[in-house]
Amino acid sequence: MRTKSMVLVLLLALVGAAPVVAQRPATGSWREAVRQIRDAGGVLPGHAKTGARSIRPAILTATVTQAIVTETEPNNTAPTADSVALGDQATGVVDPAADADTWFVDLIAGQYLSVDVDAEAIGSPLDAVLVLFAPDGSTVLASNDDFDGPDSRISYRVPTSGRYYVTIVAFGGMAGGPELQYAINFGTVVCAGAGTEQEPNDAPGTASRVAVGGSGTGEICATDANPAGDVDYWAFTAEAGTTLELDVDAVSLGLLVDPALALYASDGVTRLAFRDDGNGADPRLRYPIPTTGTYYATVAAGPDPGGNPFPYTLHVRALPPGPGDPTTVRAADLAFPLGLAVGSTGDLFVGEAAGNRVVRISGQGAVTTFAAGIELPLGLAFDAFGDLLVVSIDGTVYRVTPQGQVTPFITDAGFPFWIAVAPDGRIWLSDVSDRSLRRYSPTGQFETRFDAIAVGGSGPGPLAIGPGGVPYFSQGTEIWRLVDGRLERVFADGALIWAFAFDVAGNVYAPMPTAGRIKLFDATGTAVADPFAVGVDGPQAVAFGRDVTGVTVARLFATDPIARRVIEVNPAGVAHPGLPVDGGAAPFPVEAVAAALLGAGGLSAADLQYLDALGNRNGRYDVGDFEAYLNSVGGLPGAAASARRPGSER
Amino acid sequence: MSRSRWIFVMVAALVVGAACSDDPTGGGTQAGTVTLRLTTPHADDGAVLFEVSGPPIDTAIAVNASLRLFTRRTSGSTIVGVVVGVVANGAVVTLQVPDAGAPGYTARVLEVADRQNALRSSLTGYALTVGP
Repeated sequence: MRTKSMVLVLLLALVGAAPVVAQRPATGSWREAVRQIRDAGGVLPGHAKTGARSIRPAILTATVTQAIVTETEPNNTAPTADSVALGDQATGVVDPAADADTWFVDLIAGQYLSVDVDAEAIGSPLDAVLVLFAPDGSTVLASNDDFDGPDSRISYRVPTSGRYYVTIVAFGGMAGGPELQYAINFGTVVCAGAGTEQEPNDAPGTASRVAVGGSGTGEICATDANPAGDVDYWAFTAEAGTTLELDVDAVSLGLLVDPALALYASDGVTRLAFRDDGNGADPRLRYPIPTTGTYYATVAAGPDPGGNPFPYTLHVRALPPGPGDPTTVRAADLAFPLGLAVGSTGDLFVGEAAGNRVVRISGQGAVTTFAAGIELPLGLAFDAFGDLLVVSIDGTVYRVTPQGQVTPFITDAGFPFWIAVAPDGRIWLSDVSDRSLRRYSPTGQFETRFDAIAVGGSGPGPLAIGPGGVPYFSQGTEIWRLVDGRLERVFADGALIWAFAFDVAGNVYAPMPTAGRIKLFDATGTAVADPFAVGVDGPQAVAFGRDVTGVTVARLFATDPIARRVIEVNPAGVAHPGLPVDGGAAPFPVEAVAAALLGAGGLSAADLQYLDALGNRNGRYDVGDFEAYLNSVGGLPGAAASARRPGSER
Repeated sequence: MSRSRWIFVMVAALVVGAACSDDPTGGGTQAGTVTLRLTTPHADDGAVLFEVSGPPIDTAIAVNASLRLFTRRTSGSTIVGVVVGVVANGAVVTLQVPDAGAPGYTARVLEVADRQNALRSSLTGYALTVGP
């Protein structure tokens, strides 16, 4: 998995994913998430030392000690390394400061070496880092910081016979002291063989059985016997018309591992779905079952099939459908699709957060690059002039013309996160740097900010324009709105709510990535369909479709980043068209616009900028801008039906 | 109808008729219309901002349905207006005035945009005349 994908997965985890660990987002988590991404600089914040788990499942006991060997200093380098044999336990102390202890062990090609540190497990304050070197003494083959709590472990299949070196240091490389004691268990990987699985089950024909509605437990354990890595097959019978959920718990059992999950058709070969993540690093997938029959799920180690063994639990569930089920896939294999906006001819515009671009998805499902080079796009919205505004992780809001030209547009926000455009053309941003809402003129001039710290939670996060042109936003598990400068809580729910959308009746379609569903609330905040749709793994943003004339219709789309796809819910379940977006309503009476041209005033400087930007963009409001406005609202004789805005020929 | 009632109606009609033909200025003025005519060097004008000054003006209307007119009275004797649509050489606006024969109306073009909303950088060749 690429780093950025992992960073994004981490972002999701920080904002409330990994629901087995914590269903609710931590306070300030959007800000923290984005800050950590910004500060990470390519180093996954998940490797931070705080919060390391100390659970050590007994299932991982893999060796039987034959001898205890105490270190002999100096042993900082390969030439001075201490000798140890498989089955031995090496003991020592990381002392003095910046000490490194090196051990060597002679191995035979194909052996699965297991090097397992006990430090915290024996009461030592040492936070060990373990490195395995090749026989040349300098080539790093593997390393590990934390496995079971802060204690390190490496499982590695040696490619050639020879002498291998293992070095242990304190995290950061600088600590040391007589209290930093450790023991290292050298052995070959031995599987515990626990759980309900029945090995060998590495193929469909030997799959272990599990019932829908039940769970299976097992261990992913690569050994000398399966050098390519362990894959556990599970077989079950699923009914047509149901939405199947496969859900793995492993990280949530207390281990820093990364399992992967796949679903196969009845032939055992055709892969129907694959997930590496879902609940944080634990994978979860949803799949609508087309025909009744036997299906297969596989559980394996994600990035390193030969890595450390770990136990897991696989849950197999049939989810009751909502009115928005079944869902259909509109585009697949996207690089972490996050933000979503719908253009005036019905095409979908999706920010590929891991692809640093915005793609355009046609009505036929063709995916093309619309704008490239935008680092980690977050929120997307069309402005009043038909340009696409894209919030980037780099802190800039970019404007993309219908031809795909990208220019910086808003640069004075601290850390913009989400964006929406009101019917009057004004632009709203949520800024996670100071937890505020910021309002800009249609042409990007800053107008004012509203402090939103008082909403609590992680707010303000994703936002949308609701009925009456009022900005609504999520603070995590609650939806708030800003009315006449006052913050009002609209409703609350127990799960994380991401980028929601309104229909014309004021109903709210809320994507809930940690709950793995879209939920429908009425205008009062009462849940009227829960779930509305479950055929989506982790919905992140929803938006209503538009027809070829730009009219918002009763079709709802959602991004599903973990599943790398964009889906459409069952349109038969969508009762109303979406609330018009994209500044579709005329923001001013024609008479007011005319009066301003004829010298009567009445419009603000921002309004006049808007009108100029709508027209000839020459820096002042003039007769050409008035002509453009009349055209945009269908006010010209014989042009009543052509209310398309200039520049909105996308 | 009785005779006296008929006489009353006749008298009333005469009074009304006299009032209608009465000239408050005493100078024999005649309410009517005058026309603004545009001279343009271009064939794709889309909007014209103009100003008319002079004797009183009651109202202004566009000369045909392909044009839309907005006006504002800035003083008792000055109107600014914008006419939008398929603007071409010739009559563009009709002014209803209390004295169609009164001299002294002047009109000028303030801004012009083409049909793609672009502002004309020069008004050379444009003229707006007022006449019967």
